[in-house]
Formats: sequence, C-alpha cells, structure tokens
Amino acid sequence: MKTSLKWGEIGFRYIFLLLFLYGCATPEERAIKVPVSDSTVSNPVYPGPSEPQLHVVEIKDMKFQPEEISVKKGDTIMWVNRDMVTHCVTEENKKAWTSSNITAGAFWKMVVEINSDYFCAIHQVMKGKIIVE
Amino acid sequence: MKLILKPISAVTVFAMIVFGSAYAQVTPKLTDPEIASVAVVANQIDVNYAKIAKTKSKNADVLKFAQTMSDDHTAVIKQAVALVTKLGVTPKDNAVSQKLLSDAAKTKKQLNSKSGKAFDKAYIDNEVAYHKAVIDAVENLLIPQSQNAELKKLLQDVVPTLKAHLAHAEMVQKEFAK
Repeated sequence: MKTSLKWGEIGFRYIFLLLFLYGCATPEERAIKVPVSDSTVSNPVYPGPSEPQLHVVEIKDMKFQPEEISVKKGDTIMWVNRDMVTHCVTEENKKAWTSSNITAGAFWKMVVEINSDYFCAIHQVMKGKIIVE
Repeated sequence: MKLILKPISAVTVFAMIVFGSAYAQVTPKLTDPEIASVAVVANQIDVNYAKIAKTKSKNADVLKFAQTMSDDHTAVIKQAVALVTKLGVTPKDNAVSQKLLSDAAKTKKQLNSKSGKAFDKAYIDNEVAYHKAVIDAVENLLIPQSQNAELKKLLQDVVPTLKAHLAHAEMVQKEFAK
C-alpha cells in the first residue's frame, strides 16, 4: 500500500513537472517545428548507386553552377534559380527542350537522356553542358 | 613631341560626367538614402531605354535584349524598394541621380530621332556604354560608400547581372559592326 502511494506520488510529481515546463514554453516553442531550409535542395539525399540520381545545378550570379555536369542516363537534374532575375534552361543547338521561365527562387527538373549544350535564352551569355557518362 | 595619354578610371569619368571637369578629382560622397536613389534611378533609366527600343526596333535580337533589360531592371528595382522599405530608408534625390536623369533625357532624344538600323545601332551602343559606366559606378562608388550591410550586399549581388547584360549587349553589338 505504501509502495503504490509512493508511485502515485512520483507520477503526480512527473505530470506536475511536465505541465510546469509546458507552461514556461512560449507558443512558438510549443509549435512543432519542421526544418524547412535550402539544404533540402542543395544537399539532396541520394539514393543507392544503381538507382537514378538527382543532381542539382544552381543558377547563381548569372552562371550555371556547375557549368558542366556529368550524369548517368535516366538521372534527374534540378536547376534552382538563386538569382533575383528570371532565367531559363534551353537546349542550345536545336532548341530541343526548354524549361520556359524559371522565376527567382523557383526550380525546374528534367530526366536526362542525351548529351546537351544548353543556355539561358534570356541571358544568352549563360551557358552549360550536360555529359551523359 | 609625343602625346602621352594617361588612362583614367571610369569613376573619374563618372565624376566628370556628374560634376563637370572642374570637379573631376572630387569623388561624390553619398549617404545610403542617396545611394538607394541612384540605384533606383539608374535601373529605371534602362527600363525607359528598353521601352523606346520595344516601340522603335524591328530587330529580333534587339527586341529580345530590350525585353530582358526591362524585366531584369524592374526586378532589381523591386528588390531595392523592398529593401529600403524594410530598412525604413527613403531614397533621397541628389546630384548624381539628377545628372543621370538629365543625361538620360538627352540620350532619349537622340534615340527617338533615329530609326531602322541606325536606331538599333545607337540603342545597343548606348547599352554597352551605359552598362560599363553603371558597373564602374556600382563597384567603385556605390558599394564602397554604402554603410548598411544589406544595401551593400544588394549592390554586390547586382554586379553579375550588369556584367551579363554588358556581355549580351556586346554580343548583339557585333551584329551591327558587320
């Protein structure tokens, strides 16, 4: 009987402590925080080597970074626009494919099948290259 | 007797343009609200040149370039306005902004007096010269004199855009040198 009382007392104290700590927290701290950051884009989680991979090309300071990228057939490239102006990604020689406008902060993805020279049709001095290994 | 020409920096040229040759050695001193005004005015001037080009030109490359200038410089103005609003800074009119505007009025008049290929050449030649002058002013006048870190960062971020515009303008310019 004494033991069950003791456990009951401990339980009560534990609940009291929890309520006390909750009361000390601000509403912001109580909210569940889901980390949303650029790291999801710049450091993607890559699948195993046999699976198609995701590669990121940043469009920053009016350059494709990296300008040249080597990928395997079936991999995906995601271009992320970090500049304050709109860009696009367009196959240069035959205009075989294009992203259309990628506004500031937006991104565009494409599954890669063949080698391509590409450029930004809006800023024609910006050039990039995809090499399929 | 050999005439020796010393290279002068574009900042000196910019100072000469703004303050006249008598004050060429004096670099203008600008406060952050004045720098914000110069930044907005300099971008707006190029948007206005693009408007003229879109009305007068029939050359596809010139029209495409003009559209890019209009879109990009409008985007930069939007960023600058958002920043000064956040900082609670009111852009302040000053001698540099006024001189830029009075020079732009003269250039607009010259552009409006031309047509056809002569207009296209005049427009693109002016874009090359204007971007060179603005890049130099931003790098050597506005960035060094800006006090607020965010304003300085915005100006630094704009430089690659201006340089890409210059390279693009020079590419189109080659078309008219043939």
